[in-house]
Formats: sequence, C-alpha cells, structure tokens
Amino acid sequence: MAGSGRMLATLRILWVLAGVGGAGVAAAADWPALDPADLALTAEPLAPAAAAIVLYRQVDRDDELGVERNFLRIKVLNEEGRKYANVEIAFPKPIESVGGIEARTISPDGTITKFDGTIYESPLVKARGVRLMAKTFTLPGVQVGSIIDYRFRSSRVGFLIYDSEWQLSAELFTKRAAFSLQPNTRFPIVWRWPVGLPAGSTPPERVSGKIQMTVHDVPAFVTEDYMPPQNTLRFRVEFVYSKYAVETKPDDFWRHYGKERYRRVDSFIDHRHSMEKALAQIITPGDAPEVKLAKIYARVQQLRNISYEPPRSEEEQARERILASDDAGDVWDRGYGSGQQMTWLFLALARAAGLEADAVQVSTRDRHFFQQALLDANELNKNVVRVKIGNKEVWADPGVKFAPLGVLPWAETKVTGRVLAKDGGSWVTTPLPSAEFSRTERRAVLTLDEDGSVAGKLKLRYFGLQALTMRLSEANEDSVTRKQYLEKEVKRSVPTGIDVTLTNAPDWDSSSVSLTAEFDLRIPGWAAGAGSRWLLPTTVFAAAEKAMFTATNRRYNVYLSFPYSTEDDVSILIPATLQAATLPDPVALGGGAVRYRANCDFHDGHLNLRRHFDFDSLLIEQKSYDLLRDLFQQVRTADERQAIFARDRVAAAH
Amino acid sequence: MRGRPYLRETELRQRTEVRAGALARLLVLLAACLSLPPCAVGAEAPAWMHALTTVSLPPHDDKADAVQLYSETVLSVRADGRMRRLERGAFRILRPDGEARGKIVVGFSPQSRILDLRGWCIPVTGKDYAVKLADAVESAWPGVQNGELVSDLRAELLLIPAAKPGSIVGYEVEQEQRPYFLDDEWAFQNTVPVREARYTLELPAGWNYRAAWVNHDEVTPITEGGRITWRVGEVAAVPVEESMPAWRGIASRMVVALVPPGSATPGLVSWADVGKWFNELARGRRDASAQIRTQIAALTAGADTSLAKIAALAHFVQTDVRYVAIELGVGGQQPHAATEVFSHRYGDCKDKVTLLSSMLNEIGIESYYVVINTERGAVHADSPPSLHFNHMVMAIKLPDDVNDPSLLATAVHPKLGRILYFDPTDELTPLGRLAGSLQANYGLLIVPDGGELTRLPQLASASNSVQRTAKVALDADGVLRGEVVERRVGGPAAAERHRLAGAGRPAEQRRSVERLMAQAMPSYRILEARPVVPAAIDQPVEWHLSIEAENYGRLTGDLMLVRPRLIGGKSSRLLETREPRRQPIEFEAPQSDSDTFEIELPPHFEVDELPPPVKIDRGFAAYQSRTRLVGRTLVYTRNFEIRELSLPVSRAEELKQLYRAIATDESRSAVLRPAAH
Repeated sequence: MAGSGRMLATLRILWVLAGVGGAGVAAAADWPALDPADLALTAEPLAPAAAAIVLYRQVDRDDELGVERNFLRIKVLNEEGRKYANVEIAFPKPIESVGGIEARTISPDGTITKFDGTIYESPLVKARGVRLMAKTFTLPGVQVGSIIDYRFRSSRVGFLIYDSEWQLSAELFTKRAAFSLQPNTRFPIVWRWPVGLPAGSTPPERVSGKIQMTVHDVPAFVTEDYMPPQNTLRFRVEFVYSKYAVETKPDDFWRHYGKERYRRVDSFIDHRHSMEKALAQIITPGDAPEVKLAKIYARVQQLRNISYEPPRSEEEQARERILASDDAGDVWDRGYGSGQQMTWLFLALARAAGLEADAVQVSTRDRHFFQQALLDANELNKNVVRVKIGNKEVWADPGVKFAPLGVLPWAETKVTGRVLAKDGGSWVTTPLPSAEFSRTERRAVLTLDEDGSVAGKLKLRYFGLQALTMRLSEANEDSVTRKQYLEKEVKRSVPTGIDVTLTNAPDWDSSSVSLTAEFDLRIPGWAAGAGSRWLLPTTVFAAAEKAMFTATNRRYNVYLSFPYSTEDDVSILIPATLQAATLPDPVALGGGAVRYRANCDFHDGHLNLRRHFDFDSLLIEQKSYDLLRDLFQQVRTADERQAIFARDRVAAAH
Repeated sequence: MRGRPYLRETELRQRTEVRAGALARLLVLLAACLSLPPCAVGAEAPAWMHALTTVSLPPHDDKADAVQLYSETVLSVRADGRMRRLERGAFRILRPDGEARGKIVVGFSPQSRILDLRGWCIPVTGKDYAVKLADAVESAWPGVQNGELVSDLRAELLLIPAAKPGSIVGYEVEQEQRPYFLDDEWAFQNTVPVREARYTLELPAGWNYRAAWVNHDEVTPITEGGRITWRVGEVAAVPVEESMPAWRGIASRMVVALVPPGSATPGLVSWADVGKWFNELARGRRDASAQIRTQIAALTAGADTSLAKIAALAHFVQTDVRYVAIELGVGGQQPHAATEVFSHRYGDCKDKVTLLSSMLNEIGIESYYVVINTERGAVHADSPPSLHFNHMVMAIKLPDDVNDPSLLATAVHPKLGRILYFDPTDELTPLGRLAGSLQANYGLLIVPDGGELTRLPQLASASNSVQRTAKVALDADGVLRGEVVERRVGGPAAAERHRLAGAGRPAEQRRSVERLMAQAMPSYRILEARPVVPAAIDQPVEWHLSIEAENYGRLTGDLMLVRPRLIGGKSSRLLETREPRRQPIEFEAPQSDSDTFEIELPPHFEVDELPPPVKIDRGFAAYQSRTRLVGRTLVYTRNFEIRELSLPVSRAEELKQLYRAIATDESRSAVLRPAAH
C-alpha cells in the first residue's frame, strides 16, 4: 500500500468509534489528465539511469470514514522498469480490506489499454488470528516507454483509528505527489516531518480541516555503506493521535514526562529494607565508593538476564515459572530479571549504598536520532544509571550483558537522555569513548620461509566497545561457531588467502574490557620474488581499510557505530640469506578524526612493522567525503609499500 | 538470472526440514504476524521418538550441528491412484546452529493437502513439548518467489519449542496427494549425518513398482504382507560447500515408479513417459491466431533468410513478452496458450517457449520443448525419470540454409538433425548462445513421440570473456595516467548489462569499475568512465576509462617498483580452507580472459628486473603471463582460460595451487632503477 503500508507494524490503536460506517464505494472518477510530455519522456534528468519513475502519486486518507485512496502513475524507462507492471497490494485481512482496483496501460503512442484481467487474492502469511493478504495483478502489454496507472481503495474494517504517515521517500524517483488527510475530529492529532522535507516542498497545511501537501522531485531512496540509520534519512510526514489534549510546549511535555517516569522508577526501586539486606551480601562497610560500585555492578550482572536468552514459547515460559517482577526486591529475591529491571536494581542498590546515582532514560541511536521537538516519549527507549563519585561520573548499564562497568553499549553512547527527577529532571548527553578505548591490537611474530610464505603466532586483543559488540553478537553461540567467527575475522583482515587456527579459549562470557584470541597463522606467498630481490608488503592486517570508501560519489553523511582504532605490531624473522636493501620511510597521515601512522625497521634479522589507525569520529559530513576518500587512498597507498630484501650485495646496495 | 519455477510439484515432496536460506522471507513475514501462537500443552512425544533417546549417534565431527536419528516415509497408494503419505523424522540437536531443526516447513498445494502435522520436543530435562497444525504459520512456499505473480504452492511453518542443544525434536506430517504422476522419491541423505532412514510402500493388489537408486548402491527391500520396506543406516552428511554441484545431484536418493495394472497413467518408467505426458499437456497450446500471424508477417517482413526470420521472432518473444508466472494447479506444468501469451505480452518460461514455437511453426520451422533444471547436475545422464526441472528452454530445428557460425549452441541430433538450443526467457543471452548454467546441463528434449534426456552443448571458452587493455604512462613520481578499456563478451556482458539496467543511478552504474580500480590501486581517480552498451545483446559491453593513480610506481630508495598487472584479479580464495574439499568444484561457464597492459616507463628510469613469465596448463584451466620490455614500454600480457565446467574433488589441490600461482604472479613487481648516464 502506498500511504499506509505499515498497518501491521502500526502504532497505537486508540479508541473504538461507534457508528462510523465502512468504506463508501469509490466514485468512478476520471483518471488524472495525461501530459503529452510524459508520453514522450525517455529519461528524467533528475534521475538519470532510473529504470522507472513515479510521474504522479496521490494518497487521500479519510480517518472519519476509515478509507484511503491511492493512485500511482509510473513511467517505464528501461527493460528493468517493466517489473513495475506487477502490482502487489498487501493488507492485514482482519483490519483492512482493499477494493476498487482499477488499472490501465498507456503505450508511448498514447493508446490506452484498460486492465480487465484477474485480480488474485491470496494470503502471504496466515497465523492464528492474523492474515497478511495480498491482491496481485499484472498489467498486459507494458513495454519500455509505457505509462502504468493504477488506483485502489483500502478501508479499515471496524471502528479503529490508527496513526499514519505519508512516506515521501520511495524506491523510485517521484516527480510529483499529492497527499491529503482528513483527520478524525474526535481526537487531537499532531503531525511532524522528523527528517525534514524534500527540497522545495511546502510543509503540510490544514485547509478546511483537511491536511494537505504536494511534493516534487523527490529522489529515490538509496542505501550506502556506513550510512546513518534509514529512519533518519527517509522523508516522511507522521500523524499521531492522542487520547488527551496535545502538549505543544516541549519544556512542559518533557517536564511532565520526567516527573511521571521518575514516579514509576521510584516506585520500582524504593524498597530500602530489602536492598539493604542485599547489600550486606555484596559490600563491606569499609569499602571505598569505587569498590562498592564495582561490587554492586558485578553482583547485579551475575543475576540471570532474561533479555539475552533465546525467545521461548509461552509454554516454556510457563514451565520455567518466570514471574513478572514488580520491584527491585522481586528481582533480587528471584535472581532474574529483564535487562531494564537489572539496571534499575543496580540503581536501587547503589542508592542504598549511599552513592549518588541517577536514573536516566536515553534514546538509542541505532534506529533514530532523538529530537526533543518531536515530543515522542517512546524514543527514550533505554534506561541507564549515572553515578557520581566525587568529581567523576560513571555511566552504567548492567542490564546489558557483558558490558563492563563504565561502558555503555555503542547505541547508548553520545545520545540524549533525560535524568529523571521529582521536578521533571534535565537533559544530559552520555559520553562517547575515544577511538583508543575501542581498539584492536594485533601482535604477530612470524618467520619468512624460503618459498615466500610467512608463518607464526598472532595474538589479537579487542578492547572496549569492540570487545563488547563481539561478545553480544556471539552471546548465544557455542565454541565451534565462536572459533569460526574469530578465524573469519582474521581472514577478513588479511588481503590474501591465509591459513589460521585459533589456539586458545577466549573469555567470551565475562564483562572484561578486553577479549584475547591467539592463533597459528600462515600466509602463503606473502613475499614476492623479483629476480634476485624479495619484496615484502609492510602491512599485514589492512584488508578492512582497503575496501572502505572506494565509491567516488556519496549521497549521505558517513556514520559509524563507534570510534575505533587498530594497532599492529608485526615481527618477521627474515632468512639469513637475505639482506635488507630498502625499507619504506615512516609515514603519518590525517590528523583530524582519521589518523594513520606506520613505520618499519630491520634489527637482528627481524623486520618489525608497526601500524596505527584511528577513526575517532561517529559522523563525517557528506561535504567532507572527498577529503575522507582521499585520506583512505593515502592510507591504502601507505599500506601497499614494500620492503626490499636482496640475496646479493649488489642488489642490496640499491 | 532469476530462477524460474516450472515443474514444482515434486519440490514439495522433498525433505520437510528447513533448508538453508529458504526461510528468510518466511521469517520476515512471520515477524509481521505480531506474535507466535501459543503451544499445545502437556502432550507426550510418541513412543518412536522416546525410543531414540538411548540410541547411539551416527558418526559425526564436532562441527555437526545436529544428527538425524530417524526418518521414515510410508506411502500408501489407493487403487484410484491417490496416495497418503506419512513422514516422520527426528533430530538430536548438538549445537546452537542446529536449533533450526526445530523449524519444520511442509509444502502443500491443491495436489498435496496436509491432513495432519505435529511436532514434539524431548528436552534434556522436564516434560515433552508438543505442537500441532493449528499452531503453524501458513505462507507462500519459500523459494518460488522470483518472478511469481501468483502460485498456489504454500507452506506451513511449525516451530517446535525448546529446540536447544541436547534436545530431540521430531515431527510427523500426513498428506493426501493426487500426483500428476504415479511416482515418488525417497531423499534419505541430509546435510547432517543420518542414523537410520526407512521407506515403506503400501500398494493395492496387482500394483507393481520400479525402484532406481541414485548415488547409492541398491538396497534390497523387505516385503511383508503388501508392505515393501527399504532401510538404510548411518548415511554420511553431504555438507554444503561453495561452488559445489547441485546438492540433489550428489545426494543419495531412491526414485520409485508405480505401475498400476493396466492403468493409463503409469509412473515415470522412462523419460519418454515424461515427454508423452507433457505433449498431452501442451496439445493445442501452440496453435496460432490471426493476430499472431499478422505479427509474424510484420516481424519478418524485412527478413530474407531463414535465420533472419528466426532471429526476428526470437527477439520479439525475448524482449516484448515480459516474464510473469501465474501458476495455479496444473498451470505449474502446463503452458498457457500461445494466443493468450501473445495477447497479454507476458508469460513464464514455458509460455514464452510456447509462443515462439507457435510463431516458428508458422514460418515452417519445427521446434521442441526442453525442460531443464538450472542447477547444473541436479539432473544428469544417469538420473531416473522424474519431474525435477525448474525451467524450460527450446530446441529449434535448423533449416538446411542456416549455417551461421554464430549459432554456438547448436548440436546434432541423430533424428532431428541440427538443433539450436535457445532460452527465450533469458533476455540478455542472444540467439545462438546459452547461459553458463544451461551449458553441459541435461534437459529433457520433448519430441512428438515422447522425450529423451539430452546434454546441451558446452560452448567454447572464447564465447565468454573479459578482455582488458590499458595504455598508460608513469612519471618520475610514480603517477600513472592513461586509458583503460574493459570489454565483456557473452556471459560477462550479459551480467554487466543486467547490472547497469538495474543500477538506478549513474553513481551506482560506476561501482563495478570503481571496485575494479579500488582492488588494484590504492590511490586512483577515474577522470572519465563511459559505458558502451549497444542495443544488440550479441555485442560486447565496454567500459572506457581515463584514469590517474598516484604512487602506482612505488619509490623505494632509488628504485621504483611497478606492478605490471594493472587491474583485475583471476585468483580465488575458494580453496583456502583448513578442511579438505569434499565436493567437486563447479565453474559458472567456460571462459577465456585476457589482459594487455602497456606501461610507458618514467623518464630517467630503466628496467633492473622483470617478473618471470608464468605458464601453467592443467587441462581444465590454463594461465600464462609475460612481462616484456618493448622500447621503453613494459608490456604485460596474460590469458586465463577455464575449459571444463566441473572439476572432480581429486583435482582440487591442483586448482588451489593454480590459484596460488596466479596470486603470486599478480602481486609481482618490476624493479626500475635510475637510468645509467
């Protein structure tokens, strides 16, 4: 469905309306007039190479009647674009019906063929009580140059009102689109466009009660590597109904939110007696505040965190008798809880231990970027704790498995949070660890064989968010899968085929700040012979940067989950028959968010290679992409430098 | 190329457990279904499952995520040809990856109704779990989505609770089948080791059967009171490896043809039977209408040779008839009438063949259906008759006056004479050629008196190639500047055409050449990138690049290192695995690639050392490269040819060494030194 295709994932069902009839029969309206220029169109200058474009799209929704009418006009520009002649309209059967489907094909010469074929209706998915249906049809005679017109009406069955949205960014370039919404007058409604509007658009306006908007030349939505979350880029207008009068002043809205949340959290944690009993098992009276904090944190993380367990059927849950906890005392007594409950239990224990600790609701940045002005409390979706010890702030989320004290998972770093307090609280930003904090260290001791292979030992250490992210991704895997995962990581880091075997048992199941893995490593053909010389690349583990930012053009900002760095220290024992002829000079690149340095030396028969790479930023603006790309090209150039070894003194002399 | 479903009913009879990747779409849709239904409570797993709790596991390694403890199929055939099929199976889950064995997918269609479906789990501790059909999620059959507009193939997905390492999960499914053919298949091998598998046939009085074994020695059945039972034990796993032949072409199975007394619809005893059956389905479907004849006249008006006429009609069906599959009931097997396909200008593979065959017939040229499986090896020379095909192409009987050497996909048939294989569904492979997946593949050629399994031709390696040439110059700072041309022929050209058409924007179109450059040069700028894509699909696709690359010549001390192999990699990490290769290696298509790179030396430098030439010929593939100094120009030439499409596992080490030698050659540099004054 064009305008409200997310019915199943929709937001809130607010109220039951009585007495509102079903959809009326669509009036047999004329088709929108054809522009002869559209018939003659062979390419759209604003969408070069597009397979098809949307010439016109119209979505008219009426929440009084529960009806939405959609019209789509598509121009086919190449063979690939003919696929848009296949139409599938999905809808949830118990909630919605689709009817009034009409379609036609307009040939480039203007001949109109009305669709009179079969419209098929079949379930896409059917489970108990839910059926996701699809009406499908295909238009005949569609060729390159054809225009496809179709329209349909979807009607809400029953008397429910849903939030809705106009999706402005689509798979195809949209030349023109018109939207309207007749809101239900019983409930207050707000509308917003969280990521702005396409260039040249006028914001929606209310005319005679109906909200309307027209947009032009909306680019097709595309995806790129290292792009921000899609929700932060897709143009859309969201409509949200409310049960209550709509709060329009952000300060008042968030103050009210802070008070309400504070009251609920306080009710959960305010069990001083049971917390003090628990504390007696965790800390000793003479413990320093930092020690108390560490002990409490470690103890809470020892509880069973059911948020990280594989999903269970209802029966499994019933058999395990997992009870809902009403407060922190329940969580402690039962020894298990959700991640959120464990974080609040930690808050309760910290306060009981006399520490200054605040409850903070944060908005993770994995799917949205929080905007206060949107007044959407649901975006403050995670809870963390801020503890103040002297002048130092410690941020903690023990509800995240494997997260060390003071380390928030990446999605909770550098995000806005609301400190909950009686008076409504205040805004705060969580800290962002440095690139150095989330580093990867690779230490290798290798030997060069006569056949050009290098082989030896590799010790790999992941730190900070790098280690935490890996532990979380492999949380429910066994040692075989984890071993394969680590070996694959090493293979990915070397730009040629290698033989690698994990030789230790990494500590996967702790909240340590690091994760250490050791390997036997062999790289066949690492050194290349050139006559009497041997050429050795001076970087071993540079494959990751080799593939980054190779595209010439960039549409969006570059966005990373967290800053990171890599530090390589490789020692290669060179056969005594070879002599160092030439070694590359040290190099240092960048200096802002991206920094690189590499050097090598030859001592006591060992070629020592050192490389350091920092990506110390979350976001690089699109306008700086060329600089970033240039820098990565320089990094790749530096990584490809070679040391020259020679068998005889003459060659070595060069 | 899209996988085009054709004869699909037999797909539903295959293993009911989850196959890798098939569930992706289902699970996405499932996520939209709000929540899973509650599980049935309290029922115990059946005795046959409990009996498995104490059996020893079949031999397996530590990577096996599960083992199949038991599988059983009981096929009860009624005198009217209807069948009732009971399948049961049980796995012990050994590792978290094996938890997918708790997801049971059962296909069904109007010809194959599900009467009952149940699943159980015997956990390591505690009571058993049970689920039933009402708890399942119904969806379109995973795996037949590409290009399908409508299909009545469906699947039930049943999630068995507590499917964890240590648990035994099992299922029973009972189906009533009204098959088009009285045949069946017992696919008892799996991607995990199997401890025991049984197959029982219950036949009405007077019925007979023929059993054929594929990839397995024949097993003698036990016959007891009308029940014929086969049993196999300790069947090794056939794990999935990259670039392996079609899985079902390697796995063991038994195919049973049922022979009723004097019935008009016997099982598939011979390939001719399949052909006859299909001829009946297609009877009358190729009759032309007046409109078709008018179109033929228009299309062939300017054509003065038979080949020109064939080409005009083939081009029309290839490009003007859009691929759309509407497969309901027997429509999964039966083509739509040519008149209907012509009128709609859409149809699936068999519809397109039908229309083109009809049109060719009108100009006096015979043609024949060829049903085929696009996974080369799924059907091979020794395969017993079955319907395991998923695509249809055609064979055109060439008139005597057609002798064009461009018709590479031509074979000589003992009775039909010269026939040209052609795939009108493939919009990017011209008349005269075949896509790699069809070459050296076995298809069923359907002739008026039946059908015969036939091997499609393998084209010469020169029919597919990527040819790269470059003329560049190095300056004294190591900066490389010049022109590069990439020319793609055959399959590589078709792939690039497809990519370019679907790219959507120029930036995305350039990605292939940007990747090519990025893999070869650490620092580069594409000053101009111009694709040349002729409208005629038999013409090569080219990219013309103007490039500049800093630091290509690496100054090291007073030397400059220059890699003569400018761009493009022919090596592969395919066999760089610790585990030995277990399956043959399949190549996409025969191919012959060549590179010629001319690099003008920087001023004041001369050659000190050049990389040695390489020449390796393994029979199935050959590689040679050479770097020469011609005047002040380094000239690097190389050829890489893949001659065979399938390499036995015994020669995997040779291929590995070949790839390593290529990798070494590709990384070698010429050493330049300051010119002597």
